[in-house]
Formats: sequence, C-alpha cells, structure tokens
Amino acid sequence: MIFIRNENLRRLLRVAIPYLAVPGLVLLGALVFDEKRHLIVSFGVAVLALLLFAAGFDRKQIGARRLVIVSVMTALSIVGRLIPVFKPIAALTILTAMYLGSESGFLVGAMSALLSNFYFGQGPWTPFQMLAWGLIGLVAGYLAGPLKRSKVFLLIYGLLSGVFFSFVMDIWTVLWYNGTFSPALWVSAVAAAVPHTIMYSVSNILFLWFLAKPIGEKLERVRVKYGV
Amino acid sequence: MRSLEDYHPRAVGLYFLAVTGIAVFSMNPVIVAESLFGSLFLYLVRHGLRDGKTHLATLGLFLVLTLVNHVVSHNGVTPLFVVNNNPVTLEALLFGAFTAAMITGTIYWFRSFSEIMTSDKLLCLFGALSPKLALVFSMALRYVPHFRRQSERVNASQRAMGLYKEDNILDAAKGGGRVFSILLTWALENGIITADSMAARGYGLGRRTSYTIFRRRPRDLVFLALSVILAALTVAGSFRLSHSYYPVFRVDVPDAWGSAGLFAYGLLTLLPSILEIKEAIRWRWYLSKI
Repeated sequence: MIFIRNENLRRLLRVAIPYLAVPGLVLLGALVFDEKRHLIVSFGVAVLALLLFAAGFDRKQIGARRLVIVSVMTALSIVGRLIPVFKPIAALTILTAMYLGSESGFLVGAMSALLSNFYFGQGPWTPFQMLAWGLIGLVAGYLAGPLKRSKVFLLIYGLLSGVFFSFVMDIWTVLWYNGTFSPALWVSAVAAAVPHTIMYSVSNILFLWFLAKPIGEKLERVRVKYGV
Repeated sequence: MRSLEDYHPRAVGLYFLAVTGIAVFSMNPVIVAESLFGSLFLYLVRHGLRDGKTHLATLGLFLVLTLVNHVVSHNGVTPLFVVNNNPVTLEALLFGAFTAAMITGTIYWFRSFSEIMTSDKLLCLFGALSPKLALVFSMALRYVPHFRRQSERVNASQRAMGLYKEDNILDAAKGGGRVFSILLTWALENGIITADSMAARGYGLGRRTSYTIFRRRPRDLVFLALSVILAALTVAGSFRLSHSYYPVFRVDVPDAWGSAGLFAYGLLTLLPSILEIKEAIRWRWYLSKI
C-alpha cells in the first residue's frame, strides 16, 4: 500500500479488496469448483468481510455527528421494515450513501440488516443480508455523482439492487440447502423468489421515487449546515 | 445452576456457535437428527405446547424442502415411482428429508438464540471488537422506540390541527408522508444536538470503553469448558464417521471414537434443556417449601 501515491486510489483499494474482491472470488469459486465445502467458505468470508470492515471502521477518526446521523438513518430503516409488503431499507441505504459517502452507506445497510433481524428473526442468513445491503450502499456511495444528477439512473440502480439482493440471497439459499452450488437449484430458487424480487425492486423504485428529493434535501441541509 | 439465559453472553454465544455450526456443516444423519431433536426439545421445554401455528408452519417448510430435492436430483438406485420420465428415488427423498431436518433444526436453534441472546448481550459480545460500532448499534436500537413515540406525538398534533382525515386513503397517505417528513427533520436535528452534547462531554478524546453488566462467574467457565470439550469431541469423532446418500443411503456403524463424538453432540444439544428442566424443578421445590 505504501507504493500507491494516489490517496484516493489507496482508499479505494483498501475498501475494494476486502468487500468486493474476497466475496467475488468466493462466489466465483463456488461457481467454478466442485467441492462440498462452499457453505463453510462463503459463510466464513461473509463474516470475515464484516469483521474487516468493523476493524477498519474503528481505527478511523469519525466525528460524533456522523456517527449519530448513521444511527438515525439505521433506526429509520429498521422502523421502515415494519411497513407491510414494501421495505425501504435499500432505498434509505442508497440515499444515505449518496449524501454521506459509501462507508456510511455500507454501515447503514449492514446495521439495519443486523438490528432489524432482532424483530424479524436472526439466522445464519444474517451475515449475508448484512453484506448484500452493505454492498448496495457501498456502490451507491461511489456512484453518488451520477445518482444525484439523474433520477432515471437512481431508479434503475434501485431496480438493479433489488434484483442483486434477491439473487445473492438465492445463492445463499442454494448453498445452505445443498452444501455446494448447483445452477439448477439456483434457477429454481430464483424462479421461486420472483415475487420477492419484484417486491424488493418495486419498493426500491417506489421509495426512491418519493423519498429521493425530500430525504436528499434534508441530508444535504444537515451536511451543509453542520459540516457532517 | 441457572438456566441458560443467566449465563455470561460469551459462554452462551460460544455454545450457540458450536451447536449450530456443527449442525449446519455436518450432514451426518445421526448428527442432523440429534440437532433437530435437541433444538425442538429446548423450544418445547421453554414454551410448552403453545405456538401450534409456528410448529405447523415449520412442518410445512420441512415438507416443501424435502420435496424440492426431486426437482434436481434423480440419483440413487431405488426408484419409488416415475414422474415425467424422471424417477423419484428413495435416496433423493432421504437426502431431501435430512437437509430439511438440518434447516428446520437450525431455525429452531435460532429461535431460541433470538430469545436468549437479546441485543444487550450481543452488544456485550461485539462491544470489545469495535466500540464505535457498538455505539451505533445501541444508539440505533434506542432510536427505534424513541422515533415511534415521537411519530405518535407528531401524528397527534397534526390531527389536532385538523390537517388530515382518515376516511380518504389519498389524504391519509399524504398525512403519513407529512408525519414522516417532520419526523426525519426532527430526528436529524435531534441527532446533531446529541452529537454536540457527546462532543462537549469529551467523546472521541480517549479510547472508548464499553460497559457491560455481565460478570464472569465460575459457573460460566464450567459451562464454557463443557461446551468446548463436547464440541471438540464431536469434531474429533466426526472424522471417524462415514455415511453416504448416493448412490445408496448408508450410515456406517461408528467405532469407539465415532460413537463418543455422536454421544458428545447429543449431550451438547441437550445441555440447555437440562439446565432449564433443572431450574424448573428447583423452582417448584422452593415453592413447595413456602
């Protein structure tokens, strides 16, 4: 890391390696290799990625204001998950990431998954939900500029993140059921989960459509007024 | 002895990690059966015969998961009947049933886990890892009821001002949106005040520590040691176990080490139930002396 002079690139790498490369590699490994231990590997890597994030987060100097705002957004998305049928977690995660940066986005997504599961039931799926929603926030943070400029792009991102979340959770379902990845089972899991996928995507689009402007203005105001 | 809830979070956390970890990653039929029995028994001991609906829903899940396997797997040598030119085999049925048992067992473990490992205990576990995340964790959890109360207040004052009526869906939705908007502005401002107050009291100056009310007692150590030893025995014994689902369903008779592992896992799964039963008996015994 010492040899990379560009600070932004260094920062990107420090984030990209643990959160993107490792899970990506494992998913690739699950698709390519034929082994019976995919479940252990994927579970271990999901937990490891979250732990790495936690360790990195703690060493940083983060102001109390940002910390509190992240908690506020997390609490809002937990309350929002109590809404029947439509779930605003991903939408709120994306909005937070757009205005407060990718790290805050990852945190809101992951923490909302962990904490709302106290109401909805913890399980071995918790780390995967944390990682999936966290990644949606992380990427939204990197795309903050274009997402703020174009509403169409924002809605498309919402649609895609709903599909992404559903597909990742389907991979987990197959791994849990079968111990190893099976394309045929995955296709049937994806097919069985179509109503959920539609529900995720529709609620993302719906909430982003209605909330993007008011919440964006409020977060922007807090950011400008208090320098979060 | 006390019931499982009264033990130190670290001991309880490690126990659940061991018992569910082994259940999820081992597909040995005996271990799967032990896990399902132990978790169901613990749930029944804690709840009695109520919650019939929950059990029925889980049974439904069990049946669906058992049958899903036939979609993809036609391995095995014992065909039962043929659907669409694809044989439904005994082996695939058994594999589906044991996978379903593994998953339902884990679901029951996590039901007990959610009840026993409440958020304060989880906070105690992870607070040591990252005090900052622990702070976000506890603040967010604290805000949930806080926001709910505040939104009721906003709602009441909106209604008092006659700003929306309930008989019209569109109007009610507009009103709900307004309440949410007010709540969000208030929450962010309130958060800034909280943060400034934290900064004024010296947040961020020193290393953050986290406080827990849980104390380590000798019994926690005994429970911890017992779980670790039983789990280690199970893992050691599991290398001597062999079984197969395809092409023929077969469970080999284990040698001494293997049997010890299976016995250890059985004991591990029954440990919390034993504690609960013991506590219940003791309670009744004390009551009878009054």
